[in-house]
Amino acid sequence: MAIAAIKRLFSGAKPIAALFLLLLTSLGLLSDAMHSSTSLGRLYTPLLFINVCAVILLVGLIIKNLYALLLALRKGTTGAKLTARLVLLFAMLTFVPVSIVFYFSLDFLKRGIDSWYDVRVEAALNDALELSKSSLGLRMRDLLRQTKSISTELSLIPDELTPLSINDLRLSLDANELTLFGGKGQILASSSVEANKLVPAKFDDKIKIHLRNHNDYVQLETLPESELYVMRVAVLVPSADPVGEERILQGIFSVPERMNNLANSVKNSFTLYREVIYLREPLKTSFVFTLSLVLLLSLLMAIWVAFFFARRLVQPISDLVDGTQAVAAGNYKTQLPMTGKDELGFLVHSFNMMTQKIAMVTDEANRSQQQLAEQHAYLEVVLTNLSSGVITLDAERRLHTSNAAASQILGVPLTTYEGFSLNKLSHEHPQTLLFIDMILTHLENQDQQWSEETTFFNTTGRQVLLCRGSILSAIDETEQPGGFIIVFDDITNLVQAQRNAAWGEVARRLAHEIKNPLTPIQLAAERLRHKYLHKMKPEDAELLDRSTHTIVQQVETLKEMVKAFSDYARMPHLQLSPTDLNSVINEVLDLYRENPAGCRFEVSLDETTPQIDADNGRLRQLLHNLIKNAFEAMADQPQQELSIKTRCMEKEACRFVEMRIEDNGPGIPEAMLGQLFDPYVTSKPRGSGLGLAIVKKIIEEHGGMIWAENREGGGARIVIRLPVNKELQDGLSADTHHTTGNSDAAA
Amino acid sequence: MGSSMQLFISNKSARTGWLLLILLFCIPASYAANEAFTIRSVETRLRNQVYTLSAKIDYHFSEPALTALKNGVPLIVLIDLEVQRERTWWLNKEVAELQQGYLLLYHALTEKYIINNLNSGAQENYDTLHAAVSALGNIEDLPILDAKLAENKGRYIVSLHAYLDLEALPAPMRPIAYISSKWRLESEWYKWPLQQ
Repeated sequence: MAIAAIKRLFSGAKPIAALFLLLLTSLGLLSDAMHSSTSLGRLYTPLLFINVCAVILLVGLIIKNLYALLLALRKGTTGAKLTARLVLLFAMLTFVPVSIVFYFSLDFLKRGIDSWYDVRVEAALNDALELSKSSLGLRMRDLLRQTKSISTELSLIPDELTPLSINDLRLSLDANELTLFGGKGQILASSSVEANKLVPAKFDDKIKIHLRNHNDYVQLETLPESELYVMRVAVLVPSADPVGEERILQGIFSVPERMNNLANSVKNSFTLYREVIYLREPLKTSFVFTLSLVLLLSLLMAIWVAFFFARRLVQPISDLVDGTQAVAAGNYKTQLPMTGKDELGFLVHSFNMMTQKIAMVTDEANRSQQQLAEQHAYLEVVLTNLSSGVITLDAERRLHTSNAAASQILGVPLTTYEGFSLNKLSHEHPQTLLFIDMILTHLENQDQQWSEETTFFNTTGRQVLLCRGSILSAIDETEQPGGFIIVFDDITNLVQAQRNAAWGEVARRLAHEIKNPLTPIQLAAERLRHKYLHKMKPEDAELLDRSTHTIVQQVETLKEMVKAFSDYARMPHLQLSPTDLNSVINEVLDLYRENPAGCRFEVSLDETTPQIDADNGRLRQLLHNLIKNAFEAMADQPQQELSIKTRCMEKEACRFVEMRIEDNGPGIPEAMLGQLFDPYVTSKPRGSGLGLAIVKKIIEEHGGMIWAENREGGGARIVIRLPVNKELQDGLSADTHHTTGNSDAAA
Repeated sequence: MGSSMQLFISNKSARTGWLLLILLFCIPASYAANEAFTIRSVETRLRNQVYTLSAKIDYHFSEPALTALKNGVPLIVLIDLEVQRERTWWLNKEVAELQQGYLLLYHALTEKYIINNLNSGAQENYDTLHAAVSALGNIEDLPILDAKLAENKGRYIVSLHAYLDLEALPAPMRPIAYISSKWRLESEWYKWPLQQ
């Protein structure tokens, strides 16, 4: 509390001014008190004490401030050098004139005081005093003579008449009081000018002693509390009787008023002069001391005020420096305290305005940037979730952006090619050459909007892409296009589905249209045979027999073909149940163990494969078709080898059971790879072309995938992936998450 | 910068400042060990229900003091007098307190030394300084206390202390008087039981 109060006291301009005034007043009072004998004189010592305290206080404050300034200079604090210069300047400006004034004042003071003393004045005053003494002495001797004369008269008067005659004697002497004392000091007779004065002036022992030695006594005396002098004269009264009692006559005489005043005047002047001369040295010392105190206080006050004003002056500048550094460091919300209405205040105000505007602009820019980032992120999310592939090219036809679907469809990590030309992409990934050529052609033609369907050969096979492109409008005001956008969809499955639907319809109609006349044809042929065979000659009969047999046999073949068509068109509804693929494979393979060609089976079944949801019958049909197909493909091989493998694999959080059937046949012609699973695509002279189409249909019904590829060492490979039983999938994924959770916790 | 340049005195420096100040004003006091005034005897008596005091004091004025006196500077000698009642379990109770002042002056015209009793106004002239100082040191039958004020049981103590009043000196002499031991003229406190 007390420290805070002292801080407040020494931190404002008004308290400092008040303090300064107080010090000046106290110095003034001190100066007055030095030559004043009134109550102000009594204040001299307290005032001196106060001023010495003020000096000590100021010295302490200045030392503290100097120390702080030195520390600030050493640290290189902002404004310290300016403060030091200002303080030095203030101190110099004060010290030089004050020192000059002090020097000359001191000189004048000493000369002035010394000039008070004058030998002639002293001699004159001494002479005047001596003259007063002589004058008074003359009168005193006269009075002594008269008193002695009266005492002789008195000695002749009988003792009993003395009280009666004393008044007459007093009157003749013109004394104020005349008293006759006995030898023991008792009053024998007395007369006074004051009629009611009962007790006369007392008779002192020292007068008695003096009288015994000198016979008479005369002295000038002062009256208490007055400036009046009286003359006391005492003589021994001669006695006629040598053994009689000794008597003393004492007379008190007033000094004439004129003489009294003159004597007082001389005495006072003399005393004053002596005192002044005596006090000359102390006075000089005191004046020098007071003057030094004034100088010291002024100097210290000036230095202190220099510190105060330097701080006031430097504070806004150092604030500005700090503020500028803060702004440079990126703190645009820096606001400086207002200092005043001067130029510095205006500068601070301008700085505050500037930082406010910068802060506003920065906020606006940040907001815009944030909005832009949000929009970009939104666009990114939209593009990422699009199933269509989207790529944009800049005006220089370099890849600008691409989404994940585009990379997935093209099978190329497009993000690594952002900023590069499309030619680089086509060069490094030749499969994209056709696709990119098509795009470039449209760009060359400067087609505003275009749409084209193209075929794209990827590692996974043939893909049909539907591409649409357009020129982006210019971003700036130039007429150059802002870039290009190309959107493409993998419509392979769509085309395939449409084709499958068309084939299904064809098959249904064929079955319907062909199946109906087949039975009458067969019946007619059998009827012909039955009716005419035994009636004909053996040569004709043999022809008829062979012909009708051929007809019946071909009709049977046709019926089977129609049945196959019908099966393809109208497959019964699936009866899904949890099925172990390995056991189904084993069961089916058992039927082929005893094959005539002596085919070597290589069966590698993963025991850990989980169950799948499948229609057991369809699965058997699928396996029959594939194995039959393989056998047919290997028909010409001397050593037939069929390999069936299963394994469990996980892909994109959905577990699959994979089955690979490999043969060592001639493989699949490259041209057929894309349409292998289409109906009526076959390399066999007697094939219906529906076996693999049915296989694909079954797989698709089970939600699986199938593709065919050629083995590196020769032969074909059919890869089938079927999803794991739904409940098992859930359990496994829960386990996986659980395990992951545990591992995270462990980490 | 702003905070480090505060123009205020800290607690520590304030303490140091006061210490210096006290030391400065304590140094002259330590020189006053030599006793200039000595109280030889004190005697109290009960007369007409009033306690009176008689004392003998030796005044040895220093050379500067005598020079000042001869040059017309009046000297004032003050005698502080206290009467206290002793208390066993507590501080003594002050019963009476009085100050007696005597002005000693050299009269240039009459060439006499004048002693003026500042309390009563009585004035005496003396031919010599010795006679004046002797008379000054002789206090007789000074009434100090009404007997009614000392009726309580217990021991009453009279304390006496004589000293030269420096504040009565002319202002220019005071700073020197305060720092010079030759001007610190005083006696020790003299204690005497109040007797009937």
